[in-house]
Amino acid sequence: MSWLGLSKFKLTLTVILIGLLLLPFVSDSRTALIMLTKIFIFAIFAMSYDLLLGYTGIVSFGHAMFFGIGAYTVAISLKAFGPSIPVVLLAVVITIIFTGIVSFLVGLLTLRLKAHFFAMLTLAVSALFLVVAEKWRSLTMGNDGFTFQIPDLLRDRVSFYIVALIFMVVVFLLLERFTQSPMGKVLQAIRENESRVESLGYRVMHYKITANVIAGIVAGLAGILYAMSLRFVNTAVFTVELTLDALLITIIGGVGTLFGAIVGAALIEYTRHALMDLASVHWIFERWIILLGTVFILVVMFFPKGIVGTTKYWWTKRKMSKVKQSKTTTKG
Amino acid sequence: MEMLINITVNGLATGMLIFLLAAGLTLIFGLMDVLNFAHGALFLWGAYSGIWAYTTSGSFFIGMIVAIVTCGILGFLLERFIIKPVYGNHIQQILITLGAMLVLSELVKVVWGPNIIQARAPEWLRGSWEIGDVFLIKYRIFIILVGLLVFVSLLFLLNRTKLGLIVRAGVMDKEMVQSLGINIRKVFLFVFILGSGMAGLGGMLFGPYSGVIYAELGLEYGILAFIVVVIGGMGSVLGSMIAALLVGILGSYAAYFLPEIALAVNFLLMLFILIFKPSGIMGMKEALK
Repeated sequence: MSWLGLSKFKLTLTVILIGLLLLPFVSDSRTALIMLTKIFIFAIFAMSYDLLLGYTGIVSFGHAMFFGIGAYTVAISLKAFGPSIPVVLLAVVITIIFTGIVSFLVGLLTLRLKAHFFAMLTLAVSALFLVVAEKWRSLTMGNDGFTFQIPDLLRDRVSFYIVALIFMVVVFLLLERFTQSPMGKVLQAIRENESRVESLGYRVMHYKITANVIAGIVAGLAGILYAMSLRFVNTAVFTVELTLDALLITIIGGVGTLFGAIVGAALIEYTRHALMDLASVHWIFERWIILLGTVFILVVMFFPKGIVGTTKYWWTKRKMSKVKQSKTTTKG
Repeated sequence: MEMLINITVNGLATGMLIFLLAAGLTLIFGLMDVLNFAHGALFLWGAYSGIWAYTTSGSFFIGMIVAIVTCGILGFLLERFIIKPVYGNHIQQILITLGAMLVLSELVKVVWGPNIIQARAPEWLRGSWEIGDVFLIKYRIFIILVGLLVFVSLLFLLNRTKLGLIVRAGVMDKEMVQSLGINIRKVFLFVFILGSGMAGLGGMLFGPYSGVIYAELGLEYGILAFIVVVIGGMGSVLGSMIAALLVGILGSYAAYFLPEIALAVNFLLMLFILIFKPSGIMGMKEALK
């Protein structure tokens, strides 16, 4: 009766989702709302990263560049044309086109290289964006960044929260569908054994570039939400640290499981939040990155599949042993 | 003209520092095929422990020794406990050494505090020589000399000793060396400690060169080391020397003539070289699949 277990799982998810949707009407804690919004945004960003790392086996160090493009596009448009919904939609279109072109070109130039070279080159390209954002002061105000107004509809924390939540669910469902498609299966095959996929006649580059473009666009959209949630943008959206955050979230949640990105984002954002509060209790908690790094190391060593991956693994193992048991009993 | 000489000397000094950082990494990368992103953290620890030992003991020489020994020990611990379990898996190596880098960089703040620390050259290395209109800053000349010394001894070690022969053979074909009955793991460990010590020395020398040290140096210089290794071609000490000097001199010229793009010069250089010669300047191994 394995279908029952699955539907139970889906039922739980639906209940959680409804709970999250109703939350702002039940509780009026602003900090919780802001933290959850941040979790949703980072979950979207990490899901797009997982499409590269987990499904295609590509390590990118420049994923923040797409995030940053989205953030700056929406910020600059809103500042230039005033806060209205059409301007936000315009920014969305520009971001999709811009991140699409950049990820296509970067992929074309660099995806033929081996893993670590690709990692370094993406780092290089994203560093160029960081430099441009810092130096093109008339447009970006340099390092200091700038604030901007957002449309009235989104200024309300509750409606913004719901937009972010719905957007996360939509991205999750679309990416889940994509990874289950024949194309997604080819990506996973590339991760496992690239030369074998190539010898089967697939044009590996074509698939890798497509994954890169999709991941780039989704990251750009996450960047739009991020900038609008802060109503402020600065060059921090282009830094390596942001890419490392996505990496960390993906690893801890579970590489190759989109749901893991959501769990990872929730866990890390919550821990960060809690530890920052603790910093006022004892100075050692100011150095919470030590804990984060240690967890990082331990997860890679002992739970290379991450939280969701490991749970999934245990779950299937349990189910398998149950199936085996019932088989032996019917045989006997 | 004098200006050009000054800029070139500056660039050479920076390049030598980068060489100290990158040479160890290129061996680790080339021989062990390990992507050690914690290398920059060793540089950082070299800077902090070395400057600390120098200011407490008053002897610059003791500072250098302490930096090398500290980083050698750290390198040993890293190889044994962090990197050994993930040999052969690039993605896991990147992740686990990044974790190690985060921890090590943050531990520096626990031990020495989160503030920027001032570092000064010792008395006998302060000031400059004047030759005509050319000012040669003593400390920079000193760095260039130390870098050359390390470079020459490294080349001697690699090309004139039996151990160097094994290391070079290991870079070419690890399995073959192993099948000849040589314990390549021990060679790995030795190379790792050697590389870490060099990174430590580089960090220590960096302190007085820039005047200040801070905990973010780890990530900054870790990335720079990788850029140099990638430009130079992995496993080639000569390649990383050429690449380090190229990065140093180009950076110093850019800072003077085109300050707007100075920050991006290293990345542009890497982009340019990788697009036209993906295996790096002196690279032998194919970067393409």
